[in-house]
Amino acid sequence: MSDYAIVGKRMPRVDTPAKVTGEARYTADLKFPRMLVGKVLRSPLAHARILSIDASRALALPGVKAVVTGQDTFGEKWGVFRYTQDQCFLPMDKVRYFGEEVAAVAAVDEDTALEALELIRVDYDELPAVFDPLEAVSPGAPLIHENFPQNINIHVNINVGNVEEGFAASHLVREDTFTAAEESYFQGEPYAVVARFDLEGNLEIWMPNAGPHMKAKPLSNALRIPLHKVHVRKIAIGGAFGGRSEISPADFICALLAQKTRRPVKIVYTREENTVCTRQGHSMITTIKTGVDRSGRVLSREVTCYMDGGAYSSTGPIATSVPFLCMEQAYKMDNVRYNGFRIYTNKPIRGMIRVHGRSFACGVDTQLDMIAEELGIDPVDIRLINAREAGEYTPTRSYVASCAMKETILQAAQKAGWKGKRGKLPKWRGIGIGCNSVQTGFPMGIRGGSQAIIKFNEDGGATVISGVVDNGQGNDNMLVQIAAEELGLRPEDIQLVSADTELTPTDPGAYSQVSTFVGGQAVRIAAGDAREKLLRIASEMLEARVEDLVARDRMVFVKGSPQKAIPIQKVIRTGLAKGRVVTGEGSYWPKVDPKREWVQNPYGQMCEAFSFGTTIAEVEVDPQTGKVKVLEVVAAQDVGFALNPLVLEGQFEGAVAMGGQGGMLTEYHFWDKGRVMNPTQLEYKVPIAQDMPKIHSIIVESHDPKGPYGAKEAGMSIAMSAAQAYSAAVCNAIGVYLKDYPLTPDKILKAIKEKA
Amino acid sequence: MRLPKFQYLEPRELEEALEMRALYGAQSALLAGGTDLLVRMKQRLMKPSFLISLKNLRELSGIRIQGKEMLIGAGTPLKEVAGSALVNLHFPALAEAARAVGAYTIQQVRGTIGGNLCQDTRCLFYNQSAFWRSGRQACHKAGGKICYAREGSDRCRSTNQSDGATALMALQARVTLRNSQGLRDLSLEELFTMKGETPLDLAPNEILTQIRLPMDRPGGASAYERIAYRSAIDFPVASAGVWLESEGGTISKARIAVGCMGNAPLLILQAGESLEGRPLEDTQALAKAARIAMDQASAFAVENVGATVEYRVEMVSVLVERALRRASARAAEEKRGEGS
Amino acid sequence: MSRVPLKLKVNNEELELLVEPHWTLLEVLREELDLTGTKEGCGEGVCGACTVLLDGKPVRACLTLALEAQGCSVTTVEGLAGEKGLDPLQESFIRHGAVQCGFCTPGMIMAAKALLLENPCPQEEDIRKAISGNICRCTGYAKIVEAIAAVASQHDPAAKGSVGTLKEEPA
Repeated sequence: MSDYAIVGKRMPRVDTPAKVTGEARYTADLKFPRMLVGKVLRSPLAHARILSIDASRALALPGVKAVVTGQDTFGEKWGVFRYTQDQCFLPMDKVRYFGEEVAAVAAVDEDTALEALELIRVDYDELPAVFDPLEAVSPGAPLIHENFPQNINIHVNINVGNVEEGFAASHLVREDTFTAAEESYFQGEPYAVVARFDLEGNLEIWMPNAGPHMKAKPLSNALRIPLHKVHVRKIAIGGAFGGRSEISPADFICALLAQKTRRPVKIVYTREENTVCTRQGHSMITTIKTGVDRSGRVLSREVTCYMDGGAYSSTGPIATSVPFLCMEQAYKMDNVRYNGFRIYTNKPIRGMIRVHGRSFACGVDTQLDMIAEELGIDPVDIRLINAREAGEYTPTRSYVASCAMKETILQAAQKAGWKGKRGKLPKWRGIGIGCNSVQTGFPMGIRGGSQAIIKFNEDGGATVISGVVDNGQGNDNMLVQIAAEELGLRPEDIQLVSADTELTPTDPGAYSQVSTFVGGQAVRIAAGDAREKLLRIASEMLEARVEDLVARDRMVFVKGSPQKAIPIQKVIRTGLAKGRVVTGEGSYWPKVDPKREWVQNPYGQMCEAFSFGTTIAEVEVDPQTGKVKVLEVVAAQDVGFALNPLVLEGQFEGAVAMGGQGGMLTEYHFWDKGRVMNPTQLEYKVPIAQDMPKIHSIIVESHDPKGPYGAKEAGMSIAMSAAQAYSAAVCNAIGVYLKDYPLTPDKILKAIKEKA
Repeated sequence: MRLPKFQYLEPRELEEALEMRALYGAQSALLAGGTDLLVRMKQRLMKPSFLISLKNLRELSGIRIQGKEMLIGAGTPLKEVAGSALVNLHFPALAEAARAVGAYTIQQVRGTIGGNLCQDTRCLFYNQSAFWRSGRQACHKAGGKICYAREGSDRCRSTNQSDGATALMALQARVTLRNSQGLRDLSLEELFTMKGETPLDLAPNEILTQIRLPMDRPGGASAYERIAYRSAIDFPVASAGVWLESEGGTISKARIAVGCMGNAPLLILQAGESLEGRPLEDTQALAKAARIAMDQASAFAVENVGATVEYRVEMVSVLVERALRRASARAAEEKRGEGS
Repeated sequence: MSRVPLKLKVNNEELELLVEPHWTLLEVLREELDLTGTKEGCGEGVCGACTVLLDGKPVRACLTLALEAQGCSVTTVEGLAGEKGLDPLQESFIRHGAVQCGFCTPGMIMAAKALLLENPCPQEEDIRKAISGNICRCTGYAKIVEAIAAVASQHDPAAKGSVGTLKEEPA
């Protein structure tokens, strides 16, 4: 085992001091001279043609400096993929959801901007709208996008083996349908954008983002200015959870207003705008048919899933695939067929979210529990029988190099006292288990890899230049820890220049859980390169071979002779005096199958590593009110290697709150046709401190051969397995298998009554 | 979110405040803690031209016994009501209700008992931003002619979700409404109009200054129950306050108030009457009273505060029964205490 | 709209400002005084990101008119650290990993500060209740509670805090 100096250690994050003093700058905190306030005018109709927009009265209002509409754009449609290009940032023809951007103003202060919005007159021709995905695909439904018949945005079809034969050979076959309403991100920070142009036409722009390079290119396209003139800057970000990866109309609108007025412009979303006008999760209807042999081993599975995608495609093909992929990674399956449909409706746009597919994930595991009960097998055992193992291929042919799924099941079960509890708890108490797996990376085209540059500085420290972005999960600290480790320095010696498209090299972003694996890896390689150069200089100074030298704790010394050490600072200064390069570079490109495509060819190596996790939850249900008290949660995840256990625990705990406590018990949106009825945290019930249970985090390390130090993703898997565990525990407590999520008290009570 | 513009008035004492109310009347609104009012203003549900701040009016705060009444200033912070030894001793239902409102950080300073009592009714189709409500007709409460919560309803069906109001209804509270000319003394039943559009009989020139609880009822015990999906922040989706008077172990009088069902807390007379003459430990009678309360209250609820109507109505029975059991246990304990 | 004089103390500094009546304390802190540590997370008094201390007691600055703070002493997160360094709560949050994205952190720390000023030795249940008006989406609250409890367990009854006073324990 390796003896690391910095990685693997519990250490406080380097970005925390600025956050506890209030000094950390988030987008809405920025202030520039002559800055204007921008506000967006939104459609009050879910589906309508725009007949005309008259902004003359708004423009005449003193203090208003610009108004923009679709007429001020090039009318280009944007999409994450070429074949999903369906969205204009300021539509010219029609609006497709309540809240869609229609126009925007920039004014000297907020009151004036709000007043100006009311003076813009838009004439709409209201169209029939459709809000239910099954209605949307039925004949006669209003067509939302002209070139997507039946309102089917994406259809993913995956077919492996022979499902019919599998079912025929099965001892037991079940088919069940599971449904879940959409959930929502509710990042702490409402969306905001600040944009300004300089005299040379360079755009500087700040916004919460999960990948500045992913924002820069579409902005460059939409504004038709060269990519090198778009500078997406680093800023403290108040959470993303999957909802801030793509370009947002607000980014474009803010830049447009800044361009027109030649002044900085700031747009700050209200909480409602953040909920309605950025992204939400997908609601889903998932039908799962599973056939098992006598021992409970899954022989065949067929899944059909209808997802409500809202008005535009966003990450459509990815969203339609990920729930399936998580399942196929977690469990062995030789025969499986999947049909996933992402359907357009006149609702807000849905995107990728940390707990993606409650009905899918909880459905698969609930069905396993139902099958286990019929066969007289313990739910833990049926998971062990079907759990993914290292060295296997997933049905869609991704090789799984490292996997400790079984270990997570066993450790969680032991910590939770499963054997002594399952089936033995007092009435109305229950214990349940959930297992899941998450990808570390997706095929991302040209931006799939990360590059980094590291320079040693005259004072003995070093500066890391990396495109990796921190949404709050701790990526900045991760880079500092890795760099410090490899360079032989301490964390406080590392300066970080990151997430700035003018200054930092390309990076895929925090998307698909890839920052450590790809971005951290690139930094590790760059640091290794810099260290190599450092050691070559030191080898001359120490008259030793490079291979015999170690850089550690600010010193360079010959292995085994730490007393004859020279400070790194001295080595650098010596190198600088001799004109030697003290800069390193590194690049990491994950070896994925470049021919794999979400829709056209969903087979081949998906990504290089997968995380695996198990959560067990114990609950007590009040049979009179249906309310659930969560007693204890055990979360175990195979993270490959724990770069910082303190940070990992924080991720697990947060994941339990989002996926389990909120995701399974209280979080969902309800609707008045196209209007979200609960856009704020008052009526959308994100968990609070009083209701959280005790959480035990178990870190399991399978030492992935490719991950930096063996590390894989560690932020998403628990969120999903926590949802499954909560669901299973509640079902166990009341003796009814529930299939509609979340499990709010009214549903639980109804199930109890119907059973009685 | 931005507030609309208004003029801010800062009276130094009650008389001055009442003069301002007389002057500005319906163009003015009273600012106590502001946790209800300011949100509605940000949503453009209310746009008063004048805000009369009550922050300097010390005379509106405080809890004391005077003669046969406990007097609670309308401006008393919820925290003080919840922690008051007097309130916890004589009217624990009120302390429980005050403790349940909002969250720790809301109860300390800005949340007042008067503000909570006078909390405007709520409805998920109404308590939304100006933008959310745009693009279609205004509802009854917003000055229009349609109800989105109950199709075809010719009147407003917004719901009273105030914890304080339900508890005080059960406790048979009275209120003092002052204007620059004099005062009115109303029972809580008289304070509530049963009209969602204008739920309180509070004239534009009045200020509710005091809540009064009768202290001349021997053997009184009370309890308050509410249910919400989370343990803080949430308004309740069902609630119940009960008051029991007993002599020698037998209930002589009972008041059962149900909240979160109609425009005002509902005093279910039939449920209360069903308990008269029953022994305190008669759990069957308590359960029956709870069911009567549920049946009576069910006619009022519409689906407009989250959670299904079916669930909320069912919870009425559960909450009333739980409150009755606790009040009954309190009464029995007091009786034992008296005997020793 | 004509502006009105507002005299108040912010983080121990006496200030005289001219404000419009409809400005909230949050807006004045962030936009007039450039104290952007206090955040707007919802604008409706639900999420608690705007929590500051008004005369030592917690309020939601987004629902407090600036003029309501007339003559009062306001403490924001920027006022916690002193010449001797960070406030024990701030140190504890760093040490315990109680901060992820950090957006809820200032409000959370101020709510915790209010609790400790009132009750220097709270139990875990008291801590959870006191911060239940502050929503955190990242941490699940576990390490926040640990961080606050760690400060509580260090409490020295004879010491005075950096904000207002700590209640003295009865002898």
